[in-house]
Amino acid sequence: MNATPGALLRVGTIVLAAVILQLSGFGTMRVFGGHPDLVPLAVAAVAIYAGSVTGAATGFAAGFVLDLALGATMGASSLVLTAVGYAVGRYREVRDPAHGLMAIPVGAAATLGFLVAFASVSFMLDVGASVSALVFRDMLVTTLLNALLAIPVFALSRRILRPALVVDPFERRRRRKAPIDSGPIGLRGLGA
Amino acid sequence: MFDKKVVRRRRAALAIFITLSIVMLTAYFGESSGGAFHTLQRGAQEAFAPIETGTGRALKPFRDFFGWFGDTRKAKGENENLRDEVEELRKRVAQSSTAEQDARQLRGLVDLQKTDGFPEGTEPLAARVIARSPTVWYSTVKIDKGSGDGVREDQPVIAAGGLAGKVTSVTGGAAEVTLITDGSSAVSAQIMPSGANGIVKPEVGKPRDLLLDFVQRGRRVTEGATVVTSGFTSDRVESLFPRGVPIGRVSRVDIDEVDLYQRVHIEPFADMRRLDIVEVLTRKGEPQEAAEVVAP
Repeated sequence: MNATPGALLRVGTIVLAAVILQLSGFGTMRVFGGHPDLVPLAVAAVAIYAGSVTGAATGFAAGFVLDLALGATMGASSLVLTAVGYAVGRYREVRDPAHGLMAIPVGAAATLGFLVAFASVSFMLDVGASVSALVFRDMLVTTLLNALLAIPVFALSRRILRPALVVDPFERRRRRKAPIDSGPIGLRGLGA
Repeated sequence: MFDKKVVRRRRAALAIFITLSIVMLTAYFGESSGGAFHTLQRGAQEAFAPIETGTGRALKPFRDFFGWFGDTRKAKGENENLRDEVEELRKRVAQSSTAEQDARQLRGLVDLQKTDGFPEGTEPLAARVIARSPTVWYSTVKIDKGSGDGVREDQPVIAAGGLAGKVTSVTGGAAEVTLITDGSSAVSAQIMPSGANGIVKPEVGKPRDLLLDFVQRGRRVTEGATVVTSGFTSDRVESLFPRGVPIGRVSRVDIDEVDLYQRVHIEPFADMRRLDIVEVLTRKGEPQEAAEVVAP
């Protein structure tokens, strides 16, 4: 993804929408003790389509906005989401996942990574009180809920980002023609 | 993918963002509440507030819908716990109510025995009511003391407040008590302090209203006067009930021009509808051969 104003606007829209929806809607939805977390999902979605550098930048921006809006420790979310965006982007660059349901494991892994890393950072920084084991249950519930939400969030993010993407990896893959499995024996298995 | 320039650029970007984050963290912890980041946060929160409010309202139906699952599950658990708690509390309330009522009745019995004029020569035997007649026509109760405990037929039975009835049949471990509200009951009584005599009879269906009959017209009877057993004795017959057991209080007096006697209404001291503990007045010494009560 090139850093054009249009691309920045699209990524900014995704980040802002994720933060606002998270703070005013999803953050207060209690389902089995946990709640979905749109922010790491949005960062992972941008990273999987736009790559590691854009993913890291998006993670940093999302964390910055999130900490600003929440009044939380500035830099903590940015640090963790930068790592999440970078890791997901690198995963796409290295492994080039092609499965249609790829969003589910990627979304779940990004969420779990974010929650564990953020908990570690928070614990190291300024949490003086003892931590209940229920935190782990909440993490698990949030991860499961995010896994369910991953497909629509990834699809929507892709729809928003697609005009700004230099190469849409999944679009390219769909255009690829199937190998020839008929005709002369010597030509079978070769691309068209 | 392995272009060194791309790799360097990628690593540099990561390093920059990580460094920026750490710088922000450090600066945030280092500054006071009036510092740049804190001020920026306050400004951002003010700017976000109306957007969050609007979005929050718009998303409320979805939030409520998703919250419904959790709330339902939570409510079910809470409901179950509360049901258990209610059951436990009901048991405790029942136990404490029963204990309170028993204590009240026992206190009443003790107080009754301390009253002036309470018959001497009797030995109260406490008993618990274990069954009672379900109809208004036969006012009887069964108690958990019988001949094995010294209970004999025709012995008077008192409850908290006053006279309750007499023992009409006895088995080894239980006895039947016919209350003074039973249609067959008749107790010789005296109005205090005027001394007018009469027979206390029940009015079926009105356990809180007894009739003192055969009171001569000339005797002055005042409302509120206490009625006690007269316990009369003569050469031939003797009352089953010893003298001086309180029965009730005069509530109304009916005087008929043509009648020879006054009809005095009495409100009994003992509440026959709530008898749980009674005392059988067993006689000290040998059992007495008593005659039925007759009109004076």
